[in-house]
Amino acid sequence: VTTPQDPLLHVPARAFELHWRSSRHARRLLTLSLAGVVIALIARRPEFAGVAAPALVLLAAGRTRDRPARIVVRMRLSSAQTFEGEAVALDVRAEGHGARHVRWTLYPGAEINSGDVSAADGAQVRFIVAARRWGRRRIGTMSVVVRDRWRLAEGHLSVILPVLDCYPGPVDQQITVALRRLPNRFGERVARIAGEGIEFFGVRQYLPGDRQRSINWPASTRRGRLQVNTYAGEHSQDVVLLADATSDAGEPGSSAHDLALRGAAAAARAYLEGRDRVGVITYQWDGVSWLTPRLGRRQLYRIIVSMMISRPLATTASWARGARLGRLPRAALPPGALIVVFSPLLDQRFVESLRNMRERGFTMLVVDVLNAEPPVQRRTPWGSSARANTERMARQLWQMEREAVRFSLRELGVPVVPWDGVQSLDLPLARYARRPLAVRR
Amino acid sequence: MTRLSPAVLGAGCVVWAAAPLVHTGYSYLALLLAILGVAAGALRLALAALPVPGDTYLTAATQYWIRFLKILQLVPWEEGAVVGVLWLEVLHPSRPWHTAVLGAALIAYLLATHLAESGASPRVLRPQARVLGAGAGLLALGAGAAMVPATGPGAGSTLLRLVAAGLLIAAAVLVLPYVTSDTRPHA
Repeated sequence: VTTPQDPLLHVPARAFELHWRSSRHARRLLTLSLAGVVIALIARRPEFAGVAAPALVLLAAGRTRDRPARIVVRMRLSSAQTFEGEAVALDVRAEGHGARHVRWTLYPGAEINSGDVSAADGAQVRFIVAARRWGRRRIGTMSVVVRDRWRLAEGHLSVILPVLDCYPGPVDQQITVALRRLPNRFGERVARIAGEGIEFFGVRQYLPGDRQRSINWPASTRRGRLQVNTYAGEHSQDVVLLADATSDAGEPGSSAHDLALRGAAAAARAYLEGRDRVGVITYQWDGVSWLTPRLGRRQLYRIIVSMMISRPLATTASWARGARLGRLPRAALPPGALIVVFSPLLDQRFVESLRNMRERGFTMLVVDVLNAEPPVQRRTPWGSSARANTERMARQLWQMEREAVRFSLRELGVPVVPWDGVQSLDLPLARYARRPLAVRR
Repeated sequence: MTRLSPAVLGAGCVVWAAAPLVHTGYSYLALLLAILGVAAGALRLALAALPVPGDTYLTAATQYWIRFLKILQLVPWEEGAVVGVLWLEVLHPSRPWHTAVLGAALIAYLLATHLAESGASPRVLRPQARVLGAGAGLLALGAGAAMVPATGPGAGSTLLRLVAAGLLIAAAVLVLPYVTSDTRPHA
């Protein structure tokens, strides 16, 4: 029955062939009846024929004469795109099965959480699924069992469920970092020059053409001349998010790449909500893909998709094999843009590219997304083995090397903030959000 | 409760068929088969709701666990239990009403197992009530036939009783589908 609120009202129907076979219940009844009859005959004990009788009668009564060869299944996802951990409703309905009983069993695919309920009865049911990790995820398969009224025959079919595009869940980020010198473009950020905004900037002498409503009467009275208020201009900035996809380390689900994607998604959302133009550059082993800075909510999804798909076949992002950051077009890396880098800083080539960009005058902020360290053998109660000591020393050297990389970037004027992926991005960025980042050329 | 009832009924069937335990005809093997079938069947039903990890990379322990669950699902434990229980019962001298009660309990065990594994409520058995009633009647008739004294000594009269009981059941089996056929129009 379809109602106006029926989620499956306009969903195309697909017919599936049912494979009928005896149920396990029927096979058990057959075993009981055969065992009873055989024992009755061999042992010549009529009471065992009586034991076989109820099962035989049930089997005989349940002989089905008409079974549907196929049924129609409609299915619909409430949304084909979702963020990590976000619940999506999967509605399914069977038609053409008559008065038979239908049971649905969901077998979730990899990284798909089917919630508490993975099986349900009825012609139309709803399952709630959620993807645990970003990526293009198969929801799984749905097994449908149609049982006759005697429950002796079962019609089976299996339906492959649609694909769910799961975006990295943006973490919490409310504050944004602003440049000290903003491009002369209308926006919502308070610039350090006089303009047509609403924030008080200063007082100056009245000039012909000034609006009367901006006359500052107390100041005019004090100075004996007409004084007017001036207001700070409101401009926007270009923000380029640079995601380092060259190396991945850490537990799946909270690895450096996962954190880079989540952090970049959060930053994209925060800056786009501040009416900034945001673009993205994804740096990989064999090339660079980029999306030029734009405004609007749609840009957020473009950015996320371009980061998720390594080769932008189905996205609007551009791709260059073997391209270096220094050779990117001006549109991808506009002069004067703020560059927010999400990287584990493990690839020396990438660190070198950051240095080059800084020397070319870009204002940068690096978010270190590495939250794993090389494993070290645990210290045992009876001392440490030579291997454990070597591993510990190797880790200390590795930590010193990383500190040296961070130090060299800081010396160039590139702040490096660590982020573990658990806390809000506001915490590491708070220090740089209070005062604008200086643009040094 | 739904998952517990097959275990309780199965255990009851084993005890009912085994007591008093005789020591002939591989009775211990039959007892072992019956107990194993009931216990493994109950375990299968208890573990049926456990999710099977679908990840690609699994530890050896998890892989063994998954294999164990698959074996538990594939082997027809209840059939083994039924055969073992009937084997235990046939080792005893003829006791028709005792056997009839066992037959009713075995049918109840199989129905409870089906309800537990399909997650259905007992209401789905309502359309089968008349047929189950007829089956109970035949069960009683079978037990009654076993109690009828033989017309004379020898194997012939026993065989005659057996054939009479069998013919009665066959007649019921042939007639019942027409009595219980669903006359409602199909959707």
